[in-house]
Amino acid sequence: MPIVETVSVAPPEHASPDVDLDVDAIEETDKPWVTIVWNDPVNLMSYVSWVFQTYFGYSAAKAEKLMLSVHREGKAAVSSGPRERMETDTEAMQGYGLWATFEKDA
Amino acid sequence: MATAFKRKGSRVVAKLDDNERAIVRELLDQTRQLLAPSGGSSGDPVEDLFAGLGSAPDPEELAGRDPALARLLPDGHRGDPEVAAEYRALTEHGLRQRKTANLTTAIEALDQPSHRDKLELDLGQAQALLIGLADVRLALGERLELRSDEDSDRLQQELAQAAADGSQDPRVIIGLYYDFLTWMQESLAGALLSARSRE
Repeated sequence: MPIVETVSVAPPEHASPDVDLDVDAIEETDKPWVTIVWNDPVNLMSYVSWVFQTYFGYSAAKAEKLMLSVHREGKAAVSSGPRERMETDTEAMQGYGLWATFEKDA
Repeated sequence: MATAFKRKGSRVVAKLDDNERAIVRELLDQTRQLLAPSGGSSGDPVEDLFAGLGSAPDPEELAGRDPALARLLPDGHRGDPEVAAEYRALTEHGLRQRKTANLTTAIEALDQPSHRDKLELDLGQAQALLIGLADVRLALGERLELRSDEDSDRLQQELAQAAADGSQDPRVIIGLYYDFLTWMQESLAGALLSARSRE
């Protein structure tokens, strides 16, 4: 059976015949930004965990897991959302002395 | 002789003798001087906030900046210098003000009169000292050229060797200060983490 032809009837939730949506523009705005914390040889593992718990309100387990990702993989995305909020989070992390940057999620 | 920080009710306490206290205070103060916003402070926080808002640092100053200061105020974006410059213009002045104010809180906490070397901090002061120690260690780590975990291991070997030789090399002195602050920050982070888990 030709699979391609079976999609000729679109499910109702996908049907939007009257609205000319610019799909690229939507993907551009919807794509979240992330705050990255990079590994460095100075900041202590216990301190990094404390920062993640204190600033983001993450549980001890989640903070520990993120801290270990930073340590072992060299970096970790610690938060995601709109660009402006990621800039705020980056600034906060830098305030704590962590090596943080923000970028568009890959 | 210093003892580790311990949680005691709503406070954290440790022992720090006069000599240790003077060293920690001096290092916090030097880091504060390094970070003080260019143009100084008017004394009015609101006026200071607006004075620095959106003003990009002089590109020449930025390029020739003390590596320790550069390490304390890193780029906010990798790969796009324009985004990084825009972020810096928006945030650097405020970051410097907050770090400077935090270091002042930590220094004032150390300046409290002490009885028999006892250092007693409320949680706000403990937090300020914890963050302040991170900034001092970053600055010292840059002086010691600690760029990787291997560099840190090498420093430990150097310090052990220097202890055996009785070396008074300036790098060794900085290394010993760095080591002492590492121990102190570790113990303070532990005390504050245990405080959190009891909340």
